[in-house]
Amino acid sequence: MSEEQFPGEEPKKNEQEGGLSPETNPESASLKNEGTTMPVEPSTTSQQGTGFPPNNGGFPPPPNNGGGFNNGGFGGMQQTLPNATIVLVLGILSILTCCCYGIIGLILGIVALVLSKKDRELYAANIGAYTESSFKNLNAGRVCAIIGLILNILYLLLCIVLVAMFGFAALSDQDAMREALQNMQ
Amino acid sequence: MKLKLFLILSVFLTENKGFIHWLEHNLLTCPFKSYTGLDCPGCGIQRSFVALMKGDLVSSFKLYPATIPILGLLLFAAAHLKFDFKNGAFFIKMLYIGVTLIIVINYIFKIFTNQLI
Repeated sequence: MSEEQFPGEEPKKNEQEGGLSPETNPESASLKNEGTTMPVEPSTTSQQGTGFPPNNGGFPPPPNNGGGFNNGGFGGMQQTLPNATIVLVLGILSILTCCCYGIIGLILGIVALVLSKKDRELYAANIGAYTESSFKNLNAGRVCAIIGLILNILYLLLCIVLVAMFGFAALSDQDAMREALQNMQ
Repeated sequence: MKLKLFLILSVFLTENKGFIHWLEHNLLTCPFKSYTGLDCPGCGIQRSFVALMKGDLVSSFKLYPATIPILGLLLFAAAHLKFDFKNGAFFIKMLYIGVTLIIVINYIFKIFTNQLI
């Protein structure tokens, strides 16, 4: 990320020197850079690289209205994201398995997050190709996974704190545990 | 489809007592509870589910308040994945947040009222 931010800052300076309004998009900034006398800089190429997502972002507004025609023209439907359902199910299950010291839920949550990250990149690459409902499912599953992950981590920490406070011997002995708890109050 | 539904219903209705009886005497033990004697955040859900199967809503809620919302969440999620409702993902998110809130509040409540042991 930091590497991308640095080239992003340089063109801004160029813009200010050129007197461009800051609202102009990176596309025009990169064009300006090409126009000025430093075309070979790696920053401009990376600027073009980062300039692509806005270009793709510029196209999708038609897809919402007319994209259906395009896809219909191909004869294919909009696909569902491959992992959306799995992410949703794993995200929901991640909190129900809060027994077993929070470890199972931890694994499920992490798997769901990794899968959802892959799919979000897929969706960002070409937005028109995948259905919006599956993307919503994916995001819901992601939120569920994050919440489940946080709760499982908290529970794991609680277990560790309990063990650290009382030790294994007191924990496995219920009467000693009860006495220790009553002494606390 | 109809045949399947009929079979499931018939199992539940005809062997109702036997099924619940079997469920009641085959509860899984929580490893945390069996080791430390303390409740974990999920303890009580099986007893609560058995109470719900018997039709006792109040004791089900008392044993574990989140059982009914969790079942609702699972059913709604399954239905949403099957039929693709319009705002289904949003409702699933909200239900999930509600369930987690109930579980956390229930556990904190148990801690402060000394019901853990």
